[in-house]
Amino acid sequence: MQENKHIIELKYLSKYYKGSNVPAIDNINLNIDKGEIYGLLGPNGAGKTTTISILCGLFGPTSGNVFIDGMEFQHSAEKIKSIIGVVPQEIALYPSLTAKENLTFFGHLYGLKGKHLKTRIDECLELFGLEKNANRRIKTFSGGMKRRINLIAGILHKPKIIYLDEPTVGIDVQSRKVILEHLKNINKEGTTIIYTSHYMEEAENFCSRVAIIDKGKILTEGKPKELITAKGEYTDLESIFLNITGRALRDE
Amino acid sequence: MLRLLSSIYKELLVLIRDRAGLAILFIMPLVLILIMTVIQDATFRTVKEVNISMILVNNDKDSLGEAISEGLYASDFFQIVEEINGEKITEENAKELVARGDYKIGIIIPERATEAIRGNVNALINKSFKSFNIPGVKKRTKKSTIDITIYIDPATSNSFKNMVMSSLKEFTSQLEIEMFFKNFSEAMAQLMPDQKPIKFDSFETIRYKEVYASTTENEILPNSVQHNVPAWTMFAMFFIVLPLAGNIIKERDDGSAFRLKTMPGSFVTVMFSKIFVFLGVSFVQFILMLLVGVYIMPALGLPQLEIGPHKIALAVMALSSGLAATGYGVAIGTIATTHEQAATFGAVSIIIFAALGGIWVPVYVMPHTIRIISQFSPLHWGLNGFYDIFLRGGDLMVVLAEAGKLLTFFVIMLGVAIVYNNYNKTK
Repeated sequence: MQENKHIIELKYLSKYYKGSNVPAIDNINLNIDKGEIYGLLGPNGAGKTTTISILCGLFGPTSGNVFIDGMEFQHSAEKIKSIIGVVPQEIALYPSLTAKENLTFFGHLYGLKGKHLKTRIDECLELFGLEKNANRRIKTFSGGMKRRINLIAGILHKPKIIYLDEPTVGIDVQSRKVILEHLKNINKEGTTIIYTSHYMEEAENFCSRVAIIDKGKILTEGKPKELITAKGEYTDLESIFLNITGRALRDE
Repeated sequence: MLRLLSSIYKELLVLIRDRAGLAILFIMPLVLILIMTVIQDATFRTVKEVNISMILVNNDKDSLGEAISEGLYASDFFQIVEEINGEKITEENAKELVARGDYKIGIIIPERATEAIRGNVNALINKSFKSFNIPGVKKRTKKSTIDITIYIDPATSNSFKNMVMSSLKEFTSQLEIEMFFKNFSEAMAQLMPDQKPIKFDSFETIRYKEVYASTTENEILPNSVQHNVPAWTMFAMFFIVLPLAGNIIKERDDGSAFRLKTMPGSFVTVMFSKIFVFLGVSFVQFILMLLVGVYIMPALGLPQLEIGPHKIALAVMALSSGLAATGYGVAIGTIATTHEQAATFGAVSIIIFAALGGIWVPVYVMPHTIRIISQFSPLHWGLNGFYDIFLRGGDLMVVLAEAGKLLTFFVIMLGVAIVYNNYNKTK
């Protein structure tokens, strides 16, 4: 096992999808420290989802190494999976099940049970303002409520690392505020957050560090405020993003 | 274990709450089995016991015409029509009525047909006597051919046509024999007038005894229900492939599969929970279909399904078939990328498996190459196993080979799904 200096380490990571000679990720080196909120920012097709997928163990890289809390997927996939929590962009829940039934199911898969699981579900539902809707089926929920439950399903087991793929896309301001506030609180308790978003203003305020990636490469990396100051002529992260990645429209 | 139980509970909740899906899952197979058995029962009866209307134009009015007419009237197979609205049917009318499809068959017995047979019989006796230098009968001895015309509706099945032909041949040959002996006796009486005339009693020298071969003493009589319930039950059970594959694809489309794959040990657990629940569904389907055969079919005038004494063999076959079907569903759901792909491929492949398996046409009448290919159809294995129980009275030992093939198919399909899933990880 590697020395546990960084919670996530990517070493010379490359990924070529079968049949493609263009890398989805091109020789990335990246270290993320414990307790960070790290933003992976980039246009469509930049390599964000591929990076997150590798970090979740969904598939392996073509070359390079991934260390999660000092462990590699080849040897310790089950251990790694038990310390990560994933919040996908899609509402990955069962619409015909109630909020409580969904959370109980995912809690059981993480090995939680009995009173401990029940308490944790009640606690999370209350935290995200959904306690009154615990026994309602997901298909009757609004977009913002679904996003909040989707998030709870990923954090229920108090993971060391949370991967958030566009967690606030398509929801109202109130829901977004609640989600980001609670994520900040979870982060304060020591959880590392890896976050992808297209909302530059949100990323600027939410992340402790960001990497702007495009065409599989990290173009720039650092604390949002420092990046803005360093570039001098820009006042916000969005201007830097557009300057680095270009203004041309991107397809997937 | 908690993960597996929780996954099973979740699958059950998802299944129970989709009421329309649930109704389709349980009601459609029952409707299918009822309709198919009723239809197939009609076909069964066409050959066995259904009265089919047939025109008879008897222009002979003598022994042959009477023998054929009596034979046809006595048979349970046909309903004989000789008049319409009080008027005798002519040959032209008969041809027209059959051509229109109003009647399946029209039999025209020509004038003086019996006289012609007598002439033929006498010619034969004369010839025999002549070879011993004995004077022959002094009667009409001209040999001639009798043409009995049979008009057939082109839509009539071959089996029905053959049955009519063989019945007619039987009636005419019986008559010929009787006439031969009668005339022979008369000729002998002429030669030896002081002797008592010989009386030839017709009796059956050969009798056919039908015994259904069975491995047990409990003889189960084959009928449309005993044939069709296992066949269509097998077919309906395999259609569980569609909702199961759909369930897997839906989970992948809405992102739940993505979440599940990032959780500890969940992919295999989730797959096993699906197999467990859908296997349960297919077993319940099986029980319901048997109950339909035992209780509902008799109420509809069909024979009652006889389940026989080998309940364990039946349960083993039902579970093996259910596993084969769920394994196939898991493989299709894992490989297909869209609902359309899974639904089309799943449904068409089941129909092909069913056709090869002998659900519609018995395998033994298929061409040689297809007979070889049919040996690889899981529906053929299943059907064979069920026929062993329902028709041949087979027990657990008899069906073990077929159950083994179905279980092997399940393991292979599961292997295909796992290998494909792992292959996707390396993309």
